[in-house]
Amino acid sequence: MTRILACCLWLFPAAFRRRFGRELLVQARRDGRRARRRGRAAAAWCGVMSAIDLLRAGLLERWRPTWHEPAVFSSSEGPRMRDTLEQWGRDFRHAARSLRRSPGFAAVTVITLALAIGANAAIFSVVDAVLIRPLPYGHADRLLFLTATAPESDLPREFGLFDEGFVHYRERSRLVEDLAFYNAYTGTLRVGDRVERVRMSSPTYTLFSTLGATPLLGRLPVAEDESRVAVISHTLWQTWFAGDPGVIGRTYQMDGDPRTIIGVMGPQFRFPTDRTLLWLPDALRAADVRAEVGVGIPAVARMAAGAAPDDVARELTGLSRDLPDRFGGSAPYARLIDRMKIVARPLADEMLGSSARPLGVLFGAAAIVLVIACANVANLLIVRGEGRHREMAVRQAIGARRGQLVRAQLTEVLWLAAGAAVAAMGLARLALPLFLRLAPEVPRLEDARVGAWTLLFTAALALVSALACGLPPALRSAGPSVTSLRDGSRGSTGRRRWVRDLLVAAQTALALVLLIGAGLLLRSHARLSHVEPGYSTRDLFTFQIAPEQAWLKDGPSFARFSLDFMDRLRALPGVESVGLIENVPLDEGTASVRIRTEEMPLDGGVRVGITYAGADYYRTMGIRVLAGRPFTREDAVSALGNVVVSRSAAKRLWPDGNAVGRKLQVGRLKTWETVVGVVEDVIQIDFRQPAQALVYLPMTGQSPDQWALTSPAYVVKTARAETIAPDIRSLVREVAPEAPMYRAYTMSFLAARSMRDLSFTTLTLSMVSLLALILGVVGLYGALSYVVAERTREIGVRMALGARPERVRRMIVVQGGQVVLAGIAAGLIAAFFSTRALGRLLFGVESLDVTTFAATSAAMLLTGLLASYLPARRASSVDPIVSLRSE
Amino acid sequence: MSTLEYHVLLALSSGPLHGYAVKDAVAADSGGSQTPRAGTLYRVVARLITAGLVRETEPADGRPPHPGLERRYYALTVAGRRALADEAERLKATAAIAAKRLGALRTRS
Repeated sequence: MTRILACCLWLFPAAFRRRFGRELLVQARRDGRRARRRGRAAAAWCGVMSAIDLLRAGLLERWRPTWHEPAVFSSSEGPRMRDTLEQWGRDFRHAARSLRRSPGFAAVTVITLALAIGANAAIFSVVDAVLIRPLPYGHADRLLFLTATAPESDLPREFGLFDEGFVHYRERSRLVEDLAFYNAYTGTLRVGDRVERVRMSSPTYTLFSTLGATPLLGRLPVAEDESRVAVISHTLWQTWFAGDPGVIGRTYQMDGDPRTIIGVMGPQFRFPTDRTLLWLPDALRAADVRAEVGVGIPAVARMAAGAAPDDVARELTGLSRDLPDRFGGSAPYARLIDRMKIVARPLADEMLGSSARPLGVLFGAAAIVLVIACANVANLLIVRGEGRHREMAVRQAIGARRGQLVRAQLTEVLWLAAGAAVAAMGLARLALPLFLRLAPEVPRLEDARVGAWTLLFTAALALVSALACGLPPALRSAGPSVTSLRDGSRGSTGRRRWVRDLLVAAQTALALVLLIGAGLLLRSHARLSHVEPGYSTRDLFTFQIAPEQAWLKDGPSFARFSLDFMDRLRALPGVESVGLIENVPLDEGTASVRIRTEEMPLDGGVRVGITYAGADYYRTMGIRVLAGRPFTREDAVSALGNVVVSRSAAKRLWPDGNAVGRKLQVGRLKTWETVVGVVEDVIQIDFRQPAQALVYLPMTGQSPDQWALTSPAYVVKTARAETIAPDIRSLVREVAPEAPMYRAYTMSFLAARSMRDLSFTTLTLSMVSLLALILGVVGLYGALSYVVAERTREIGVRMALGARPERVRRMIVVQGGQVVLAGIAAGLIAAFFSTRALGRLLFGVESLDVTTFAATSAAMLLTGLLASYLPARRASSVDPIVSLRSE
Repeated sequence: MSTLEYHVLLALSSGPLHGYAVKDAVAADSGGSQTPRAGTLYRVVARLITAGLVRETEPADGRPPHPGLERRYYALTVAGRRALADEAERLKATAAIAAKRLGALRTRS
C-alpha cells in the first residue's frame, strides 16, 4: 500500500514532492495504521481514499501550485519568494554583502579577470574587424583571387594573369561570372592648386561589378567609358572635395591624363589596399592585347553560385591552352602557356591570410592568459570556500539543498565576473588605440571598434570564466556533510591540496608556453635586426618626385633634370652625398626581366631583377663596389650601354667568375650592355629573404627614347636625415613646383617598418606572456601562502620540538618547487607541440630552439622558487607560542 | 480564506505543531467536520507558508526531533496570527448577524 501511495506522490511537482513528500507518506501511513484498528475493510477503504486524495491533490498542485521553492535563506527569513528570479535576486544581494565584507579578495579577483578578459576583448575586436567580418562585397564567398603558376619556368612561383586571358576567360568561361584585373601604384593627382602623389589603381572597368560593389554617388564605369573616367574613394571625396556631391562630372588631371569623375564609392569599399584613393578604369579589348610573356596582373573573379575554386582553376587552365591559337605569340610564349596553371583561392584568404597568423597567435596567447587567470581565481575561491566550510555545513544542516548552496556561491563569482567584464571593456577601450598605433599595416584594421560584438563577446567570456572558475569550488564546498560540523576544525584540507597544486602547476605550464613563444620571437627579432642588408640604414633620407615639365620628354632630358637637381641637393647644408635609384630597398620591389648573356643560347636567359641607378648611389647607401667601377656622370646622360650587376647576379650570369667587361641583353632588346662594375648584394624588400640578383641600368635607360626615369627616388646621406625634409621640400618647390615630394622616409624608418610585423607580434606576445608570468607567480605565491597559514600550527609544533628555521623554509620551498617543476615539465611538452604555430614569424630560430626552452624554464623555476621563498620565510618566523594559541 | 485554511491557522494558534498534530487538532477543533487527508492538508500548509502566514520552526518545548523520525514543526507567523484574528473577527461578526437574523426570525414565528 505504501508503495502505491509513494507512486501517487509522483503526480506532485518536484518542488512540492521534495519539501512535503516524506511528511505526506508518514501521515498517510499513520492514517492507515489508525484505520487498521477498526478492521481490515476500514484499512483498505482508508488506503483507497488516501490514494484518491493524493492523486487529486497532486493534480491540483500541478494545475494551481501552492508551493514555490524558497531561496536558501528563506527557511529562516520567511517565505516571500514568488519565483526563481527573486531567489537569485536574494542570492545576489547576499553575495554583494558578503563581497563587500572582503574587499581585498574581490579586488584581486576582479583585477585578475579584468586583465585577462580585457586582453581577450581588445584582441577580439581586432580579429572581428580583420578576420571574422566578411569582406564588404555582395556574396563575398564567391570572390576568388586568381594567379598563375608555371613550375620549371624562370617566372616567379606565382605570377599574374596576362591581358589576353582577360578577354578570353570572360568570353568563354562558364564558371566565372565576371572577372577583373587590377593593379596598385602611386600617381599624381592634380585638383586646382593641390598636387599630390596618391595611391591609385587602374583596374579593368569590370572591377566594381565583379566585386558586387555599388557607388555611393554617381555610376560605375562601363566598357564605353574607355580610359576617360575615374571613380573616387569616400576618403578622397571627404578630404579633397569636402564631400561635395557636385564633384560628379568634374574633370581633373589624374596620373597625367584628364579623367572625369563619374562615381564615389562608399567608405567600406577599399580595394586592393586600404589606402587606395581612386580608380582609373580601363577597357581592355581583344584588339588591344598582344600575346607575350608580360609582367602579369593580379585578378579577381566572381564565380558562379555553387562552383568551387578548384573547378574554376581547372576550367581557366583548360581555356588558357587556346590562347596561343587565338592570339598568336612566340614559341617561348606557347611553351609557357602549355605549362601554366591557373591558381584560384578565396579573395578573403588572399587579402587577410597573412594577418591571420600573428592575430591567431595573439588570440591564442590571450586565451591562455584567461585560462591562467581562471585557474588563479579558482584557487582563491577554493581557499575562500574552505574558510566558509563551516558556514556551508551549517546551512546544509538547517535544510539548504546542495543546489542552493552552489547557487549561493556561484552568485558571488558572477558578481566578480560582471565587475571584471565592465573593467575589461574599459581596458579594451584603452588598449585598442595603443594596439592600433603599434600594429603593422593590416587590411581593415582601422575598422576595429570596441563595439556591440566585443561587448557580447566580453559578456560571454565573463560568464564562461565565472562558471569555469566558480563552479568546481562551489560544488566542492557545497559537498561536506553535516558530520564535519562535529569536529570543531577549520575544515579538512589534505584532500583538496592536490586540486590547488594541479591548478598552480597548470598555470606554470601555460605561462611557460607563452614565455617560450615570446622568447622565440625575441630571438627572431634579434637575429633579424642583425641581418646584414648590404647597405647602411643610418643617416639616410629618401624621397621621390615626379616632375612634369614640357622639356622633359626622353631619358636624357629626365637624366639631366635629375643630375642638376642632385647638384642642388648636394649643396644643401649637411649633405654628404646624393644618389638616385628607381626602387629604394625596403620600400619597393624591383621588376624582373629575362637577361641573356653572350654565352647563352638565343632563346635562353635567366630572370633577374632590374633597377636604374645614378650619381653616387652606391657610396651614399654604403654599398660596396667589389669589382670594376660604379656609374659615372657620362653613363647617366648618354646611352653608353654600361651596367652594374650585383654579386649574385654576376654569379648567376657568369658562374665562371669575373663579370666585368662581359656583355648581356636585357629583356627583348637586341642591344648589348657591358658590365662595368660588380657591387655587393642588397636586401631589397624583406630581411627574411636572401638577397636577390640585381642588374643596375644607368638612369638614362638603354637608349634615349626607350626609357625615361620619370619618378626616381633620391637618397641623401646626411646627419640631418630626421630633419632635412623641409629644406628639401622648399628646394623641390623651386625646381619643380608641379611635382610634390612623396614617399619621404629615413632609411632607419623603412628598416623599422619592414620589421613591424615581427616587432608587433613580439612586443604584444611579450606583454601577454609577462602578464601570464605575473598571474602565474601570484597564483603560486597565493597558494603557498595559504598552505603556510594552514600549517601554522604544525609548523609551530615542529619548531617547538626543535626544528630549525632553515628546515621549515626548505620544506615549504621544496613543496612549491615540486609543483613548479611538474608545471615546467608539462609546459615543455605543451610548448613542444605548440611553438610551431609561430611558423613563419620565426627567423633564424628553430621552433624547438633548445636555448630558448632551457633559458625560459630556468627563469620560470627561479621565479617559482622565489614565489615559494617568501611564504617559507614567513613560516620559519612563526612563533611557536603564538601559533599554538592561534587555534 | 477557506474553512480548512482557517482551521489550520486555528490549530497552530496554540503553538507550533508537527504535521500529524495539525491534522488531529483540525479534526478536534472542527468537531470532526474537517478531517483532511494528507495531500489536501499539505497543499493548504504549503499555500499558507507561501503566503507567509505559517513558517517552519523548532518544536515549542525545545525537544530535539527523534532520530529516524523526522518531524517538521509549523508555527504561525505574525502575519498568520493577524490573519487568523481578522478571520475570527469576521466569523464572529457574520455569526452575530446570523444569530441576530435567526433570533429575529424565531421571535417573529
